[in-house]
Amino acid sequence: MLDHCSISHKGGFVLWSRSFTPEVAQTASSSSSPVNSLIRDALIEGRNADDKYDKDGYTVKWTFVNDLELIFVVAYQRILQLTYVEDLLAAIKTLFMKLYEPFLTTFVESVHAISNGKVAGKDSAVSWNFAEAFKNWDTVFDKLLRNFEEKAAQERKSRYRTAAPKALVSDSTPPSDDASTIPSAALPQDEQAIARTHQALKSRLRARGGARGGRRGVARMDSESGRDSVHSSDTETGKKKTKTKVQRKWGDQVPTEEDMASLDFSSDKPNDAGNIGSHDLQALVDQASLGTRTNDGLYEVKDWEFDSQTDEADDVIARTMGSQVAEQSKGSLGALGSFFARFTGSKVLTEEDLKPALEGMKQHLMKKNVAKNIADKVCEGVGESLVGKKLGFQTTGNAVRTALSTSITRILTPKTSTDLLLSIRTKLSTPVPSAQQRMPYSITFVGVNGVGKSTNLSKVCFWLIQNGFRVLIAACDTFRSGAVEQLRVHVRNLGMLGVNGATNSKGRVELFERGYGKDAAGIAKEAIAYGKDNDFDVVLIDTAGRMQDNEPLMRALAKLVAVNNPDRIIFVGEALVGNEAVDQLTKFDRALRDFSSASGAGKGRGIDGMLVTKWDTVDDKVGAALSMTYVTGQPIFFVGCGQTYTDLRQLRVGNVVKAILSD
Amino acid sequence: MLKGSTLQGCIESVPSAYPLTLKTIMVAVLALLLALVALYVISRKALTTRGNIYLLVGLPDGGKTTIFSALTFNQALPSHMSLQANSSNVTASSGKTVRVVDIPGHPRIRDQFREHLQDLRGIMFVVDSNSVSRNGAAVAEHLHLILDAVTSIPPSQTPPHVLIVAHKADMLKAATSSTASETAVTRVRGALERELEKRRVTQAQGVGMDGLGEEGDRVEMGGLETVSGKGPFKFTEWEGGDITFVGSFVRAGEKDDEKQQNGISALQDWIAESS
Repeated sequence: MLDHCSISHKGGFVLWSRSFTPEVAQTASSSSSPVNSLIRDALIEGRNADDKYDKDGYTVKWTFVNDLELIFVVAYQRILQLTYVEDLLAAIKTLFMKLYEPFLTTFVESVHAISNGKVAGKDSAVSWNFAEAFKNWDTVFDKLLRNFEEKAAQERKSRYRTAAPKALVSDSTPPSDDASTIPSAALPQDEQAIARTHQALKSRLRARGGARGGRRGVARMDSESGRDSVHSSDTETGKKKTKTKVQRKWGDQVPTEEDMASLDFSSDKPNDAGNIGSHDLQALVDQASLGTRTNDGLYEVKDWEFDSQTDEADDVIARTMGSQVAEQSKGSLGALGSFFARFTGSKVLTEEDLKPALEGMKQHLMKKNVAKNIADKVCEGVGESLVGKKLGFQTTGNAVRTALSTSITRILTPKTSTDLLLSIRTKLSTPVPSAQQRMPYSITFVGVNGVGKSTNLSKVCFWLIQNGFRVLIAACDTFRSGAVEQLRVHVRNLGMLGVNGATNSKGRVELFERGYGKDAAGIAKEAIAYGKDNDFDVVLIDTAGRMQDNEPLMRALAKLVAVNNPDRIIFVGEALVGNEAVDQLTKFDRALRDFSSASGAGKGRGIDGMLVTKWDTVDDKVGAALSMTYVTGQPIFFVGCGQTYTDLRQLRVGNVVKAILSD
Repeated sequence: MLKGSTLQGCIESVPSAYPLTLKTIMVAVLALLLALVALYVISRKALTTRGNIYLLVGLPDGGKTTIFSALTFNQALPSHMSLQANSSNVTASSGKTVRVVDIPGHPRIRDQFREHLQDLRGIMFVVDSNSVSRNGAAVAEHLHLILDAVTSIPPSQTPPHVLIVAHKADMLKAATSSTASETAVTRVRGALERELEKRRVTQAQGVGMDGLGEEGDRVEMGGLETVSGKGPFKFTEWEGGDITFVGSFVRAGEKDDEKQQNGISALQDWIAESS
């Protein structure tokens, strides 16, 4: 069912991993493996608050242990609807931590050398044999996984059973010696009734014989499951205390006949109050034998070869879960404990501690014009990365602030090169076959109406001319009246401005226009061809503004992209935009990807970067920059900040972070 | 101790109408002098102490974490993309203890290396010699950042040694005349010089975005100046100092054996030499 499962340190060391299919095993060490993609595309981008990540047909889920800096990852085929993965992850996390905490602590210390510490590696080098250290983990994991998978299988079967009860009989294995299940295989409809009367009879007998209150359910299970009785009675006292814990981990089985019977309050059962616990206890205590039994009463052959190991693993699981609950109750000493912990610097952050601070940060971000759900996600991500960390001697607020600042810096820092000049020069200097002429570098500007596409296109044009390129502007806004004339004025102005001492830059910039009402994609194509023939270096394509929900217009834009395949698609957005930024960008990006891939150009092209305009109007409310980069993951190439051709800037990540965090 | 007693002496002497005897003054002056000398010695020591941090930097999937584990644990542990830096103290073969810090290579978090610039002793720039011809531009961009940072270190600090590690040399087919690591080094050096030259030319000709307006602080990336001030960029002529090249390889998951030791021995020698 699963494809891959791994436990690793945030520094990159894989502590334990297992691939279940050869395909995943092959890619495991390459950069395209599910784990690497997850880290590259989700965790480093600050999307660690999402609950899952899809990539190449895999769904990846993960969880953190922050104080030991561990990541637990599970990957499976996306088409499988595995409902148990989250529980499995939680269980793996708890168990692994319990079993190997001292080992992990020393390992984490060894990769965090303090400047004057002793040499950590050499003397203890022998002990970092992970295969050796986690030898037992394989069995525990197997057992855990099997439990979850069988439970899931039961659920599925019970779902199909109502439709085709007969189909299951053929692949069933011989029934065992349990009295109540033999008839049920043959008569599925009657089995409930039988089980119920059976149960009612038993409970009545017990009640008469002076039953022992809450232990009744356990005793019943013991008599039914037989071979596991010693084990279950051993753990039973522990379990009674730990009812809440138990319900979370193991209590979500599909109701068996016994469950139904115990929940059936229509028949007269004495001492109902004492009986409430039996449902939980039963699901718990009977772990080993229940695993072999489907809920429709059919028995499956147990894997005898694993038996001794399984028992051992079972024991480990039970013991660990028990001790964990004990510790939880111990840990909740109350306010006094946390008060002292704060003074000793050993306070561990919990979700409750973080809540007010994160809420405050969220409000602050929204005041800075960050879109609401982006602020939510960023703060949630910060919370995820802080829960469980030791606070040291700083306040919670400070810790959150530092983490938020790191997170925002990370989101805003471009992951691809933003050096447009280098990119243009590289393309122009790439040798082409002698028969062909070199293609000009083309940049398309897209965006909604009135954000300043044409204005900022002319600023970019000015900058390119200053760098010695010949630029052709393609007027592909064939809709808004005056759009072509606007560009004509810009071209005239730019032509009269000098470059490097020359009095004017005539011939360095030209306008390519075909009037109004024509097909934009065709004009762009002609423009590029014209630029190629006349030795232009760069073609800037101006498009008509459009609303992101207008599908026909978005299709037309995607066609323009698919036909001409520009080197850069720049989304122009204004810094004034608030929540709308998210919607605009996601829809533009998705429309471009979907529609351009549909028209046969292979893989869909998305937005390559952003240009944020009207930057000078927002003072320090620069949240739009954060929203935009978070949504696309692409860099902001330029910032437009005024009315003249020179008012084009590059984004300084440090300054933006400072502005966003300033009060 | 001394200072404290003098202070006390002064306080006591105040009420009795300035009976500042010669002795008190002498003691006070002596104490002051002693304190000054101590301060001077301490600060001088701090100034002359060179850092002992060796950074492992480079693009993701280049093999930094594997080299790190080979250096610290003597074995190559399996690893995936790092989310945070690793650091560990390592005893070089010269007997000195140095600190090796493995910086994640992802573009969004690779700027962490700047935190260590003060105590920097050496930088190991790890390049995957198999893919360098394909993603040379990206490698050069990162190297440019590093070189820029190195040249902008204040002159009061000893400049760090720079080592370019042509990693994964064992995957290359060795030419008949040279060993695998030599091939790797030649290949990496060639590709990087080509790409850095492109960057240098672009920068020399280009007008930066911030150069457009009159106002505003203009921050240009430097770090690519050659000694002669012109001509194609060569590592041998880089003005920031010497750049060494070594070839290396480590196989992840393999235990400490003869072959692997050979793989990074050149790198270890370099650390021992420069520490």
